[in-house]
Parts: sequence; structure tokens; C-alpha cells
Amino acid sequence: MKYIKAITLLIFTPALIYLLDNKLGDIPPLGKLLNPFAGFWQNAEPKELSEKEIELPELIGKVEIVFDKHAIPHIFAQNEHDLYFTQAYITAKDRLWQMDFQTRFAAGRLSEVVGKKAIEIDKYQRRLGMAYGAEKMAEALDNDPPVKAAIESYAAGVNAYIRSLKPQNYPIEFKILDYKPEEWKTLNTALLLKLMSVTLAGSSDEFYMTNILKKYGKEVTQDLFPDYPFREDPIIPAGTKWDFKPLTIPKAPYIEASGQFSSLKTKQKEEGIGSNNWAVSGSKTSSGFPIIANDPHLDLTLPAIWYQVQLNAPGVNVLGVSIPGSPCVIIGFNKKVAWGVTNVGADVLDWYQIKFRDNSHKEYRYNNRWIPTKTRLETIKIRGGETITDTVFYTHHGPVVYLNKQRPDLFAKARNVQEGNALRWVAHDPSNDVSTFYYLNRAKNYNDYRAALTKYTAPAQNFVFASVENDIAITANGYLPLKYNNQGKFILDGSVPENDWHGRIPTEQNPTVKNPARGFVSSANQSSTDKTYPYYINWTFSGYERGHRINTRLAQMSKITVDSLRDLQTDNYSILAQNVFDTLLAAVDVQKLTATQHEAFDIVKAWNRYFDAGEVGASIFDIWNKDLFRRIWADDFEDKKIMMRFPSRDRTVEMVLKEPNAKWFDDVKTKEKETRDELIGASFLFAVDSLERRFGSIGKAWRWANLKGSNIPHLAKIPGFGSDKLEIGGSKYSVNALGESNGPSWRMVVALGSATKGFGILPGGQSGNPGSFYYTDMLETWRTGKLEELFLLQSPQERNQLIKAKWILRH
Amino acid sequence: MTSLLILITSLVLQLFLPWWVIAPVAFGFALWKSPKAGKAFGSGFLAIFLLWVSLALLKTLPNENILANKVAGMFMLPGLRFNWLIIVFLTGLIGGFVAGLAALTGFYFKKIAMKDKN
Repeated sequence: MKYIKAITLLIFTPALIYLLDNKLGDIPPLGKLLNPFAGFWQNAEPKELSEKEIELPELIGKVEIVFDKHAIPHIFAQNEHDLYFTQAYITAKDRLWQMDFQTRFAAGRLSEVVGKKAIEIDKYQRRLGMAYGAEKMAEALDNDPPVKAAIESYAAGVNAYIRSLKPQNYPIEFKILDYKPEEWKTLNTALLLKLMSVTLAGSSDEFYMTNILKKYGKEVTQDLFPDYPFREDPIIPAGTKWDFKPLTIPKAPYIEASGQFSSLKTKQKEEGIGSNNWAVSGSKTSSGFPIIANDPHLDLTLPAIWYQVQLNAPGVNVLGVSIPGSPCVIIGFNKKVAWGVTNVGADVLDWYQIKFRDNSHKEYRYNNRWIPTKTRLETIKIRGGETITDTVFYTHHGPVVYLNKQRPDLFAKARNVQEGNALRWVAHDPSNDVSTFYYLNRAKNYNDYRAALTKYTAPAQNFVFASVENDIAITANGYLPLKYNNQGKFILDGSVPENDWHGRIPTEQNPTVKNPARGFVSSANQSSTDKTYPYYINWTFSGYERGHRINTRLAQMSKITVDSLRDLQTDNYSILAQNVFDTLLAAVDVQKLTATQHEAFDIVKAWNRYFDAGEVGASIFDIWNKDLFRRIWADDFEDKKIMMRFPSRDRTVEMVLKEPNAKWFDDVKTKEKETRDELIGASFLFAVDSLERRFGSIGKAWRWANLKGSNIPHLAKIPGFGSDKLEIGGSKYSVNALGESNGPSWRMVVALGSATKGFGILPGGQSGNPGSFYYTDMLETWRTGKLEELFLLQSPQERNQLIKAKWILRH
Repeated sequence: MTSLLILITSLVLQLFLPWWVIAPVAFGFALWKSPKAGKAFGSGFLAIFLLWVSLALLKTLPNENILANKVAGMFMLPGLRFNWLIIVFLTGLIGGFVAGLAALTGFYFKKIAMKDKN
């Protein structure tokens, strides 16, 4: 008996230990994780920041770092090597896992740590040419020695931090996902910047547009998808003169591309990834000096997307936000200048139909000849041992993302990719984008700003600028390919040389304006220019609503202060609602409404068109308007066999207001003929019904914040590590562009002057550790629309009362 | 007494060895001295339960239980105020159970060895 017991236990106990020491599917290794000596308990940090002195042989001199009450580091180094080394060391201290995970995601290496379930996403990232583009970026660095040195010092700093860690010090996500941090390469910095191109310049509608063209023909396509919006308030003020002689615009070839229709469901283009920025001239401010504001909207995550830092060394003293994984400050200010960015949304990603000679895909047709393809082998390691190799064929355009029958049907990300098409994407070109930020960090005036901008490639950004010399400016900046009009609105024939990009728009001819008469510059992702700009940038941009609201308010304002601009950043007013409001209300047949519907109607009628957290009218309007949009277009542009997109919001609003008899209001799937007003009425009833179904009878539960349910998820969607549901207003078409989980990832206002003063806030905190007090310590301030002062210190001794801890790193 | 020895030895060894070192420690002490099966299990369990719970408390209290509550969220526990205590308890339970089983294994091996001697 005891033999049996002994042997059973001898097998069972080690087996149990094995199970508790290893990941089971998605369940973390419980024993390892709960062990208080090395598991997650070690990540539970106390509130007090600690003082440290660390010896690091890589350093040349002494570096002092002081941390303020939000644990924002102010780094004082004696040379640039030490500066960027320390920036990396300190960023890694707070954000190592985020840096590691995002790099793996970008490079298509998630399967290595999470296993098989990430294979498709890994393949997709690689087939898009992410690593290919990053390698080219790394090569381009050779032309700019100080920037190359900065990126190398940065890599050394991350690695010095990783080497200092024992397994118990690993960030908690490494313990949960059960893997180790790996050596940081300079290539990783390039990968992370490429990731920004994916987010901001990685979408395309060409496949959908080509399908629409084939289904409805030229006339309808041109009518419903026009090349310039009906309502616009362009970034470069309309009427601005172009003081350059444009290059010859290339000619479009005669032939049109053909391609097969493809199945899958239509996806409406989601807005919410965009941004606002503006600068007002001293003539409009109470101080007489410019004030600048910026809030980049992104898919929000915890850890926060941005990392605040002050960088001080001989020749540079700058404060702002950085991207964990890249040296320099990306959005920020120094004593003399401040700058910020929003996305341009230029057409820098095109698809080319490729005709292969045969199924070996070794040659493709181009300029009436057969040209050899190149192959690139992508080796994907999968956790648990297996390795798969994926072959990607490259044409001179770029990678053929999916060959025939290669696209996974259920993989949503790839749905806008047509099989057999090659991708031409600006993110594949050699670039040196860090350089722009390196020089902006050191800029003293307008000329320095313009010089720094010439080095930038992608993703194209509207760089807003202000200086103590009382200059303000904005430039739609980046590599903007020289194209014929609408080149890339539809899929292009890849065998015709005229369809290649024709070089670029000269940098100095990128749309720009300095000190316009109206006394301010602004951007909110709308059209870069009016129709007089000689070049094609894109046929469609984000809607004009945010930009128009900003311009209207700035035009009215005088004696502007930091506070009045902060107030504008959190403006919840909806221009969209303003535009369609009267037409929508007039179409509802009030006689036929039930008591609840009537009450809802009265509420929405009295609503002030602000998407404030407590507004019930905002909830009703939002569902009403969205449903109307669907009702109008779904019958025409949703097809099980043909993938298409809906016409833009701008076109829809125009039709609702001005073309009440348009044939598109009729639901082609019913025998009866529906009218515009019937659709509006039905959508109103739908809005009331769905709110009642979700939240019960009309009342406080219907309020906008409750319907929207804004929250900030964890980067790897680990439950419990994201934020709670936030009671917060704003909408995608308001200046305060807060959707369900996208919105202002950083809000900054900087008042230039003899003592330049900055203010800013992150939706989260500096620390990436969910076990830190500084993981979400700024979230509440952000939620309530307030800002914190940003301290651009002159020395580590200054304003000692603000400093909560000091670190000294020395050789 | 055995508990105390297991606790102290594990404390020292865990500073530089992986968590499962608690198993050979408990096994070893039970092999050396354990009168009864129940007592063997109990001494291993109690030692590591106490050790792990104490250290977890030492870490979580200055943290105002921020992290333990988030980990509770990860385990999909409903949002209660004392969630962190459940995680502390779970920690002790898992460590204790492993050590208890290892001690029990030690006890039966001792019985076999003693019988062979006789």
C-alpha cells in the first residue's frame, strides 16, 4: 500500500509542479506567477519613488535624472551619447514589455511568444513588408551620423537595462505570457516607426473602389465618391497662393485595371484615428506670444502610448512625449519653439494588379516584357518548437501580399487586400524619420523647423509650429508621391510604367503656410488644401467637422490663453449634428409617436448638439444618424459577393439635405419605394427602441457616456489591466474626438514667451507596470479635461520642491 | 518545528533558486522527521503557506493592493474590495499544497526506507 502511495505521490507531485511551472494554453504558469519571491508580487511597487546611484560602464560621464510627482524623468547628461543611452535606460525601466511586444508585433514575431494563434497576424505583418521596410530605414541612417549615433546609444541603453534585470524584476506581462526580454537592436526603432505608418498610413480603399466602379460604372462612382468634399475647411486656408512652379503632372495611362470581385462583408471606414493641432499668433493671445496645441488621437492603450521625458545635454533642452523605443522627443517644445503633429492621410499606399507568367510566379509582365520577381523567405518560429517558412514574391512595386487563394478568409485585417496584387507603400522606402525629430528638438526658429521637415518621409504629418519670434506655421509634410490625378483611387495595372509613382512632390512644395492673415493655423485631418493645389495628395480625407469647429472658434477668439485652448481641445460640439439636425427632426411624423418615442423626440429636439457625458439627446442622435446611414447604403453597397465601402459622410449629408429624391433612399430589397423621410423616421424609432432594449425606460441610463462606454484596454487585452468604463463625453466628430477606446492619446498646450510654459496630460501614466501607482495616475486629470504643467528645467537643482526622487548614473 | 525548518530553509534557498525548490526542501525534512502522514503534509503546507502569504503581504500592503486587485481582475474575479485577499490566500494555498504533497511523499519514502531497515 505505502509503495503505491509513495510512487503515486512521486509521480503526481512533480507533475503538479510541472503544470504550475508552465503555461497551459492561455493560462499563465500559476506557481511561477504566484510565487512571491519572483512572481507577480515582485511587481507590486510602493508609491514612494526610490533614489538610486547606478554604475554603468557604457556611460562617458555622469547623468542626473530627477523625477517629478508623476514620475516624469528630467534627464541631464553631459553629452549626446549619455543622453540617448539614459533616455533608453529610463524608458525601458518603465516600458520594457510594451517596447518588446510592439516590436514583435511589428516584425511579425508574436507567434514566438503566444504560439499558433498569432500565425496569421505574423504572416500578414511580414507580407506587408514590415521588416523589409525597417531594414531599409536602418540602411538610410548611414547618411546621418549624429542620428545613427543616437539610435545606437539608445539600443545600448535598453540593453544595459535588460542586463540589469533578474527574472523577478521582469515586467509582469513577461511573467504572465511566460517569456524573456531579448536584446534590443537598432532595427527595432525602425520597426516601431513603421508601426506608426501602419496605423496612420496603412489603410486603402482601392479594392472596394474598384469593385464599386465595376458594379455601378463611372458616373455613379464619380457622383457618390467625388474627388473633393462638398463641405470643407482645408488645412492650408483656402485662397493661399502657391509660390512655386509645379513639376509637370504625370499623365494617366489609357487602360483601366481589372480584377475579380471578392466576397466578405463591407466594412465602413472607421474614424477616430486622427488628431487636432493648431497654433495661434501673438496677435490673438493675451501674452502677445504664440500658443500652440496638439492632441493626437489613436487607439488608446495601457501602458500609455506616449512617454513623457525632458532631455537636456549641451545643445539641446527639450520636453515632450517620446515613443517608447525611439530616441528624441516626438511632440514637444524647447525654450524657443514648439511643434505638434496630426496625420495627413495622403495616398501613399497603392495596389497593383500583377500578371504572372505562370504559377511559379518567377516572372511578371511589365512594360511589355517579362521581369523576374525576387523572393524573400520569412521564417516564423512558433512557441513550442515548430518553424514555418513563408515565401513572399516581390515585384519592383513591392511585395505581392497574397497570391491567389492565399488570403485567409476569416482574417479581418486582410480583407481590403486583393489576391494577386502587389503593394507599393511609402513605408518600404529608405527613410530617416528620427532625424526630423532630432533636429526639431534643437530648433530655434522657423528656418530650423523647415530644414528639419525636409528629412521626414512617413507617415506624412501636418507639422504645426510656433516660435518665440512670433512665427506660426503648418506644413503637410512627408514623402508625397508625384501622381496623376486620382492615381491610386482604384487598383492599378502593374504592367504599365505610367502607373508607377513618378518620384515625389518636391519637399518645399508640400502644402505649407506661414503666419496667415487670420492669425492662426490648424489641422484636424481634413483636406490639406483647396482645389487650387496643383498636385494630387488624396481624393478623400477625414471629414471637415473637427477642423471647421476649430477654425470657427479660433476665428472668434481673442486674448487667447492656455486655458481657452484647453477648453477648445475638450469641445464636444458636433458640426455633423448641426448640419443634419433640422432635416432629421422635420422628417419625423410626431403624430404617430408613442409616449416614450415622443419623450425621446422632445429630448433630442432640445439637445444642444454637444456630446457631453450626461446628454440623452446625444445618444439618441448618435444611433439615429448611424442607423440612417446604414439604411441608405447597406442595400446598395453591402453584397455577400462583392466587397465595397459606403460613400463618405460628407456625400451622405449632402444627399440627405439637398437630394431628397435620390434613388439611393429606396431600399432595393423591398418592393415598395422608400423615401428619405421614411428612412429618417424608421431610424429614429430604431434608435429609441435599441436604447430602451439596452438600458430600460428612458432616463439617466440613456446618457451618452453610458452608451459610448469609453475605456482604455491593456495593450495585450489582459483582463483587469485596462481601465474601468469612463464617464466621459466627446465623439468622433467633435474636437474632443473620444470614441469607445480611441481619442486624445496626449493633450498638450504650450505658451511661448520669455518663459515658455507647457501643459500636458496622458490618458494613463508614465509607468507601464500595472502594479505601479504611476500606471494610471494621470487618467482622472485627463478624463476631466485638465492639464498638468510640464516643467522644462534648466538644471537638476531647479525647483527642488517639485522633485520626488533623483537618480545618478555614472561611468 | 519541522515547519519552521522548512520555512527557514525555503526562505533562504528561494532567494536564488526557482520556486519549486520548496518541494525538495519539504520532501527532505519529511524524510528526516515526520511522525505521521497528516503531520507531514501539515508541516509542509503550513510552512510554505505562511512563508508565501507573509511575503505577499509584505509586497502588497505598501502597494495598497493595486496589483493584487488587478491580478484578481485577470482571473475574472468579480470586482470586490477584498479581491486582493483572495489572491493572497490563493498564493499561500498553491505554495502550501505543493510543499504539503512533497512532504507527504517524503513521509511515505521514509516509511519504505524504515521497513527495509527492519
